[in-house]
Amino acid sequence: MARYGMALDYKNCINCKACEVACKEENGVELGAEKHRIWVGGNNPDGQWPLLDIASAAFMPSQCQHCEDAPCQEVCPTNATYYDENHVVRVDAEKCILCSYCMNACPYDARYVDDRTMTIDKCTFCSDTRLARGETTTACQNTCPTKVRTFGDLDDPNSEISELLRTRDHFSLKAHLGTNPKLFYLT
Amino acid sequence: MKIGPLNIPIKEDFSFKSILDFEKTPLNIFLAVSVLAMLAMFAIGVITYLIHGHHAYGVTREHPWGLLIAVYIFFVVSSTGFCIVGSLGDVFGFKRFEMISKRAIFGSIVTIMAGFAVIAFEIGHPVTMLIYNVLTPGLTSAIWWMGTLYGLYLTFMIIEFYFLLNNDMKKAKIFGLTGLLVGLAAHSNLGGVFGFLNARTISNGVYYPTYFILTAFITGIYLSFIVMGFRYKLNFDQKVKDLLEGLAKIQGLLIAILFFFMTWKLLTDMYGGMPNRAEVAHHMLHTAPFWAEVIFAMLIPFLVIVKDFGRSPKLMVFASLIGMVGIFFMRYNLVHDTQVKPLQMMKLTEYQLPPEWIEYFPSATEIMISLGGLGLCIALYYVGTKAFDLDESH
Ligand code: SF4
Ligand code: SF4
Repeated sequence: MARYGMALDYKNCINCKACEVACKEENGVELGAEKHRIWVGGNNPDGQWPLLDIASAAFMPSQCQHCEDAPCQEVCPTNATYYDENHVVRVDAEKCILCSYCMNACPYDARYVDDRTMTIDKCTFCSDTRLARGETTTACQNTCPTKVRTFGDLDDPNSEISELLRTRDHFSLKAHLGTNPKLFYLT
Repeated sequence: MKIGPLNIPIKEDFSFKSILDFEKTPLNIFLAVSVLAMLAMFAIGVITYLIHGHHAYGVTREHPWGLLIAVYIFFVVSSTGFCIVGSLGDVFGFKRFEMISKRAIFGSIVTIMAGFAVIAFEIGHPVTMLIYNVLTPGLTSAIWWMGTLYGLYLTFMIIEFYFLLNNDMKKAKIFGLTGLLVGLAAHSNLGGVFGFLNARTISNGVYYPTYFILTAFITGIYLSFIVMGFRYKLNFDQKVKDLLEGLAKIQGLLIAILFFFMTWKLLTDMYGGMPNRAEVAHHMLHTAPFWAEVIFAMLIPFLVIVKDFGRSPKLMVFASLIGMVGIFFMRYNLVHDTQVKPLQMMKLTEYQLPPEWIEYFPSATEIMISLGGLGLCIALYYVGTKAFDLDESH
């Protein structure tokens, strides 16, 4: 069993949003701006005109961080949110009562309501689509023209992601909250 | 008194006709029409929700909890409050408060039922909840504990009420005490629902679980004034006056403590300008609902009490009505302010800069269901006064 994570070489992101589209297509995500599993965010440049720090104005692709200590899982009253055998944080639509507690507890705004099932949906690392078919990449990774995303097994020392995390500096979002995200931003 | 099914004593003349039979004063007629209108709104609201789902509500991805959560909290706080006031006499044995026990315990039952009626249309799958709450309980979830304990609490309250009706004070006391303890635990877990939100620094921490108990007691006393005001049509005899004076004095103390709670909460929120938390606190100070909470729920009733140390029960009935409006804002603010700060994930579509706040306004459907809950609560209470003898038994 694997421990899946993703490394993002975010400074390479050109905001083409191909990943957003690929995710919707592959996973049948509902249409509409509010219904998204992943997104490309943008940082405002730091500093005051004319002393702007252009490098700080990077694009920041993001999504569910698949936290090791996921607040969304802790607050779920029916255990509808669970860790699967690959440490991917998943939602069992059967058990979800749509109390929306997890939406409030997630520090990363990663969850939304799927109106078709009236339950919570979020990134699954393509677990029931691509990974279920035996592929080893996620849709967003596969489509990215600048190779921002690297998905893989953090427990496998020879995986590409382990290699990247060994050799490059990286940070996590809102690390002070103790959620231990499995999304890593490479610097 | 006649003995109904299961040995429940009900009033001799209780019938459909007795329900329609009330003194036709303008106020009573106005109330009756309002309650019917609210019940109609409940029906319309629920039907709209069943057709359109959460689209009928103003809630969004960024603001998933709306008015119905606030109204649910409003009702269950009222229930816990009634339960605390009711327990003063029949659990703790304060003679002076015994005359309100039965009425308060009945009030705690109808308010929590109204709360459940409202939340059933906010939670997407209430039936699934009943099943998986048992099959796969999420023991780390404050919502699980809150829901489960409130279910138990309602059961204990009903049993206690049954023994009160049958004048079995000993058993009433046992179930009353158990119900009170379970209710307090449930209620502080409701505070914990917010207290556990690490991502929402304004609510995170021990404040809400304790503050909820304090404000429940305050709410219970306001409601006691209101129901006693109606029961005696503001013509209080000496015994009732003594009771109300006692309650008013306790209320004065409780509101004073609440002033301390709130002042220190706000000061610690703002001190040092901690990101997110301080901004939200400053933001709150500039919103009308915050001041509605302070002025209606605290200031006005407090001034009425300190004026003559709680010796004007009639005025307190009106102050309590104002107080309950304030308590509503208190719940609404809690829910809204928890979510008002964007999570700053730099999403371009919802471009976020620090001074921006998440907007939410309840939809017509949410407002109708909420008013419907109030209508339901008043209607159930009214039927109760016709069916049961809620005065102190001799
Ligand atoms: S990012 Fe949010 S949804 Fe994803 S695991 Fe963490 S808390 Fe849960
Ligand atoms: S909305 Fe569903 S997944 Fe989220 S906490 Fe509630 S039951 Fe769990």
